[in-house]
Amino acid sequence: MKYLPPMPNQTSPLRRLWNHGDRLWNGSLMFLAAAVLALMIAIGALLWVQSAGAREAFGWSFLQPTASPRWNPVADRYQAWPFIYGTLVTSLFAILIAVPVSLGIAVFLSELCPAWLRLPLSWMVELLAAIPSVIYGLWGIFAFLPAVVLPVGQFLGQTLGQIPGLRLLFSGAIPQSGASRLAAALILAIMIVPTITAVTRDVFLAIPSQQREASLALGATRWETIWKVLLPYGLSGILGAVILGLGRALGETMAVTMVIGNSAQGTLSLLLPGYTMSSIIANEFAEAVSALHQQSLVEIGLALFVLTLLLNMAARFLVWQVARKGPQQEARV
Amino acid sequence: MTGRTLSNATNITGVSPDDPPTLPRRLAYIHPRQSHPRRAVNALMLGLTGLMTLLALAPLVWIIVYVVARGLPHVNLAFFTQLPRPLGMEGGGVLHAIQGTIVLALLSSLFATPPGVLAAFYVARYPNTPLGIAVRFGTDVLSGVPSIVIGLFGYSLIVKQQGHYSAVAGGLALAILMLPTIIRTTEEMIKLVPANLREASLALGGPEWKTALSVILPAAANGVATGFLLAIARASGETAPLLFTALGNERYDIGAIVRGGIAAQQSLGTILGRILNQPVDSLPLTLWKYAQQPYPERVDKAWAAALVLMVLILLLNGFARLWMQHRASKMRG
Amino acid sequence: MNTMNINPQPPVEKLRSLAGVISHSLDVDPGSSRPLKMETRDLGLFYGAFQAVGNIDMRIRANQVTAIIGPSGCGKSTVLRCLNRMNDLVPNARVSGQVLLDGSNLYAPGVDVVNVRRQIGMVFQRPNPFPKSIYENVAYGPRLYGINRRAILDEIVENSLRHAALWDEVKDKLNHHAYALSGGQQQRLCIARALAVEPEVILMDEPASALDPIATYRIEELIRQLREDVTIVIVTHNMQQAARVSDETAFFMVNDRRMGYLVEFGPTTQIFTNPKNKQTEDYISGRFG
Repeated sequence: MKYLPPMPNQTSPLRRLWNHGDRLWNGSLMFLAAAVLALMIAIGALLWVQSAGAREAFGWSFLQPTASPRWNPVADRYQAWPFIYGTLVTSLFAILIAVPVSLGIAVFLSELCPAWLRLPLSWMVELLAAIPSVIYGLWGIFAFLPAVVLPVGQFLGQTLGQIPGLRLLFSGAIPQSGASRLAAALILAIMIVPTITAVTRDVFLAIPSQQREASLALGATRWETIWKVLLPYGLSGILGAVILGLGRALGETMAVTMVIGNSAQGTLSLLLPGYTMSSIIANEFAEAVSALHQQSLVEIGLALFVLTLLLNMAARFLVWQVARKGPQQEARV
Repeated sequence: MTGRTLSNATNITGVSPDDPPTLPRRLAYIHPRQSHPRRAVNALMLGLTGLMTLLALAPLVWIIVYVVARGLPHVNLAFFTQLPRPLGMEGGGVLHAIQGTIVLALLSSLFATPPGVLAAFYVARYPNTPLGIAVRFGTDVLSGVPSIVIGLFGYSLIVKQQGHYSAVAGGLALAILMLPTIIRTTEEMIKLVPANLREASLALGGPEWKTALSVILPAAANGVATGFLLAIARASGETAPLLFTALGNERYDIGAIVRGGIAAQQSLGTILGRILNQPVDSLPLTLWKYAQQPYPERVDKAWAAALVLMVLILLLNGFARLWMQHRASKMRG
Repeated sequence: MNTMNINPQPPVEKLRSLAGVISHSLDVDPGSSRPLKMETRDLGLFYGAFQAVGNIDMRIRANQVTAIIGPSGCGKSTVLRCLNRMNDLVPNARVSGQVLLDGSNLYAPGVDVVNVRRQIGMVFQRPNPFPKSIYENVAYGPRLYGINRRAILDEIVENSLRHAALWDEVKDKLNHHAYALSGGQQQRLCIARALAVEPEVILMDEPASALDPIATYRIEELIRQLREDVTIVIVTHNMQQAARVSDETAFFMVNDRRMGYLVEFGPTTQIFTNPKNKQTEDYISGRFG
């Protein structure tokens, strides 16, 4: 008994498309996938093109460390070293603080936390990443800087600032507002902790439990197992997590701009106001009048793009490495 | 100790007759008591990791409490329904920013979702082709690009060509930000759909595109939607990409545009153009500008905006995560 | 249910052939009055409300090899892991009864579990060396106890590797990565690592099941030689291995409530030639399992 109507003759081209549009479909998919790839290339290419004037005018000396930096929109002469320094010093200091904290949290969450507490705590740590950068900046200006950064800065100036090797980094007095590279570094540290923690926690969870058991069965304590077996085992993954965090810190704009004081002087101290690559772009691009000014800012953006690109690639490679590790026993007899 | 004696010809274990007969005991003199310092170190370090977790969560709690405390008094009906008053005057609201946020969210979703979902289909279907690998790599890279660099890209691509700032440019910049999240989440959700579902549809004579859209996509829809929510939550909080694309506009009022358009009997296309083609503000952008102005009323509005923004993002994030949890527990049965 | 018998031997013949294996292998009079090293009294383990093993009374004598055999799923490994408190690591596992080492209960309140695990070592089913050099794997344990002087560590490492029958093969490449060794060598490395902390008992959970026959044979030879230094408890699913290697054997079964229990315990020769329990005889002669 046949219930289905006889199949109509499929001569209409529209019907043929409707029923067999696979080539069109697959073609569209491929096109869009390629478009995504093209986007990434386009960003780099466009930045390259738009900064051409500045690159020709200043060459490599635009980016190099120099004792006499010059960023002068009036005279149309630009040199980016203070901003590069600001970005590097705030990000590295933020990493210095964030890595031990993140490792501690990751260890706590993956090894020690009772199972029912693990998910809620992980969520809360991830919430730190969800808070917008401007809110961090706002809270920074009115709450964090007066209450924490100012006293910490004064303390550091009096202690570390007296040690000969570190004097350069901690010289000068932190302004009353607290606006300084230190403020930016501390807020950056808070902001990148979730990134490093999440990846590190996944690295720990991926380590085979036989490694833990072998160490504990030898009479090691939990901490000794973590410190002497698990951390070395997952080291490349943890390094990848740190590099991801570093990349995030380098690119952070709004919170940094609001608390760093935005001063283009050539000082080195963490306690004084400064500038970063992203914050100079944020502050000056919209009002840049001369083409050279705009192009210099775009060149700074290009440098930022290349830097984060390289860091991202290194991080992905390292994290991928941990997954491949393991005692290859079956291969040999 | 070559061990090549006669008895070794049949002894294949490697134990030679010269080895000491019993295991000398070197550690026997270690009194069990000596494990006490190790236990103390263990307890100390593990306690420290718990402390780190608290240390990281403290700013979260502080920010939430502080924003609520400073923002709540200034959130009122006028805040949501009125345009800003001139500088220095009390009252008014941020209607322009709220409308702008909505317009930008709609535009960026429109720009990011179809290409993102379709590109994810390609990557999930052909993960090991050169294009598939390249797209996955490109997505990773894109997710690490600083948002201010994306803003520069949007400026160079659209604003400079068009000669003016617009919501469209801002929507595009935000879409680029959302793209990696959407691609990654969709790809993972598609991979979770059982292979036999797809094969069943194909075996019934369904073409690839129908299979994708009416079988696979609905099966993956929940996960894709949560990924989308997370992407929107992130995009709504971004400021840097909008600085040179949407710019900001205190006079933006969709209601006025529509009424004026109807009164002047303009076509739908013209009205739509007027809505989308001019600069717009968003909540984070407004926050950023107001926070730095010397007028207390503006700063109060900034706090109120921060509260609204934070609540919005926390709700989106919380809802998305609860949804994921609910789905995960349903799958576990 | 073993119905595949190519050359069916009547059960009595099979037992006699096993006895032949045993009398050629063992050179120690089993069941002699060696002192008691470890003892379990009414040992049981619960996962939540479900009882996985119960009523286990075993006596493990010093400087002997005690084997635990039985069909899969009868709780052999579970009981083994109770002996060095490794089941503490499982979230909702609860132990009842006592486990005594030289007369003291390991599960008494206040007992330092870290110390317990130093005195009772463990070798696992799949070799699990650390991703370090051969030397550092063996030195890991002594280093925990503060032994850092190179001379002493060298001596401990060499002794442990000798007694694990690995020294001749690795003495020139102590700095090589442990993962470069074969499976059998890695397992012997794990034994050396366990020996380095000078335990009194070593627990082995199917130590040769992941290895090829030649490596298995070498491990079995090693186990019999180690008897002089340590007490060994070995879990194995391979009856012939138990017959070759052990002085006393414990036979486990699982009841209809899926709880593992001890059916019979005694000298290996007796268990394999003249089992007292019908279930034991059935298992040994291959009627099931």
